Amino acid sequence: MFAFVLRRLAVAIPTLLLLIVFSFTLMHLAPGGPFTGERALPPQVLANLEAQYGLNDPLWLQIWNYLVGIVLHFDFGPSFVYPDRTVNQLIAAGFPVTLTYGALSFAAAVIFGVSLGAIAAIRHNSWVDYLAVGVSIGAQVLPNFVMAPLLVLVFTLWYGLLPGGGWSFDDPSFWIMPVIALATSYMASIARITRSSMLEVLGSNHIRTARAKGMPEHRVILRHALKPAMLPVISYLGPVFVSMITGSVVIDIYFSTGGIGKAFVDSALNRDYAVMMGVTILVGALTILFNLIVDVLYAWIDPKIRY
Amino acid sequence: MVIDQSKMQSLSDRLVQDEVKGRSPWADARRRFWKNKAAMTGLTILVLVVIFAIIGGRFAQWSNEELDFSVMGQVAQMGQPSLENGHYFGTDNLGRDLYARVVQGTQVSLMVGVVGAAIAVVVGTLYGATAGYVGGRTDQLMMRTVDILMSIPYMFVLILLLVMFGRSMSMLFLGIGLISWLDMSRIVRGQTLSLKNREFIEAARATGVPAWRIIIRHIVPNLLGVVAVYATLLVPLMILTESFISFLGLGVQEPLTSWGALISEGAGTMNYGTLWQLLFPLFFFVITLFGFFFVGDGLRDALDPKER
Repeated sequence: MFAFVLRRLAVAIPTLLLLIVFSFTLMHLAPGGPFTGERALPPQVLANLEAQYGLNDPLWLQIWNYLVGIVLHFDFGPSFVYPDRTVNQLIAAGFPVTLTYGALSFAAAVIFGVSLGAIAAIRHNSWVDYLAVGVSIGAQVLPNFVMAPLLVLVFTLWYGLLPGGGWSFDDPSFWIMPVIALATSYMASIARITRSSMLEVLGSNHIRTARAKGMPEHRVILRHALKPAMLPVISYLGPVFVSMITGSVVIDIYFSTGGIGKAFVDSALNRDYAVMMGVTILVGALTILFNLIVDVLYAWIDPKIRY
Repeated sequence: MVIDQSKMQSLSDRLVQDEVKGRSPWADARRRFWKNKAAMTGLTILVLVVIFAIIGGRFAQWSNEELDFSVMGQVAQMGQPSLENGHYFGTDNLGRDLYARVVQGTQVSLMVGVVGAAIAVVVGTLYGATAGYVGGRTDQLMMRTVDILMSIPYMFVLILLLVMFGRSMSMLFLGIGLISWLDMSRIVRGQTLSLKNREFIEAARATGVPAWRIIIRHIVPNLLGVVAVYATLLVPLMILTESFISFLGLGVQEPLTSWGALISEGAGTMNYGTLWQLLFPLFFFVITLFGFFFVGDGLRDALDPKER
């Protein structure tokens, strides 16, 4: 198991370095520098600015410095648009918010998705099953950027129950709509996957054996059916995680929650490349880390995996 | 005992005919597909949406850029959907005809979906088939590359590309094309691995057909089923991706629009009482996604009947 993790890390670290080099080169290739504005700066000022941000150095040296800054000091450099803020500060401001509602949405999607799917499979062809299938088909076409306005329309404008935007760590009523908006479509997908894999497992021989020897049904399901049925769900968790981080951009914009998605879109609109790259790399690192966790989890649950 | 020769003749004719008309797996699949109510509903919806996108513009009384000055500033009172002033779907917040804009947004969204899926199909199929057929170290290298590309947060990179190189249709296509083929190549590779040891491939190799020709003439046609199903399910994903980007205001630029941009506009103005600006684009978006998902699922069930 230890060797397996090491081997995966051996792939993960170069991937991350590649992502850093790729986005840095991309930034370098982009037309227009960070200081190209409406009004051309005097050449001396421009030269001083470029010297301060190290933009005069050859490309490889810039990349090297950037890499060293990230790896050794976890430092993404200064923001190009807000001279008094660093990228770290801008990201650190939003990260706890994203993490809070992201983790809640992830947990909600997994817990409700798996329960819904499992119940639907156990009560195959009953009304619960049809309800679950209906919900999961309907929720497929309701991505976060559709759910968000609809939720605000119903809960804020029509019934006035929940605040339509903003964020507070103390008041959970601010959390409800972001979490629902972000979690719904993934909950639906997880429910679908759980249902079909559970149906397959329930029809297999070892379940028949367990039932034949008189094991009570709840034990059959909890001990023998649920674990193998979870495998496809686990391999789907990686993509869900990525999509949720991506979706947080919509949540931050629509609900003004002020997470890292907000920092990302603001920097995209301001052409603040340093912040964009910082967020991209951070998200990339989280993605790679999460995929690693999922792989390890998968290998741990499925005895057939050789590692 | 006299045998009626003509009757025997007709019987033998029928037997021969039956044998000739033996059903191929494709005919079976087609029959199952036509019988699938959900898939047929989906197909009908899609055909209607495509017709709407193609000829809908003929019925518009306003262009998508024109401002209607008579409703400007009082959109909530005057701009609602009405047949009298020619704004069938009402107007947007600037007084532009929403019907014309929805038609135009439908064209853009469908085009992005289809082109994105087409890129994925061509690139992914060739890449996956090559990796699977050649095998060995090449396969390892090619699939590791896919693994690495897959762990990149593509939406962020796509936005990075759009911001750095300017927002244009071609950049959008390029960006979506860059990411969409990855899954396809994996699926195709898996299929190719199981195909490549079959007799007909061996025969082709024995007669000296070059590798690229085997891939194009013998492997790719046998992948069509999987590719077709996956492509149908990919189109809505591409539409979703584009809508997501447009919702953030980073997609197509005015006066062009797309479903995502229209939904975003409608969502921004809904508390002024102009709900139609959200609901019309949302309606088209939702039914089209439904249509594609139903047709995709129907195709899969038709080609793989044991999956139920």
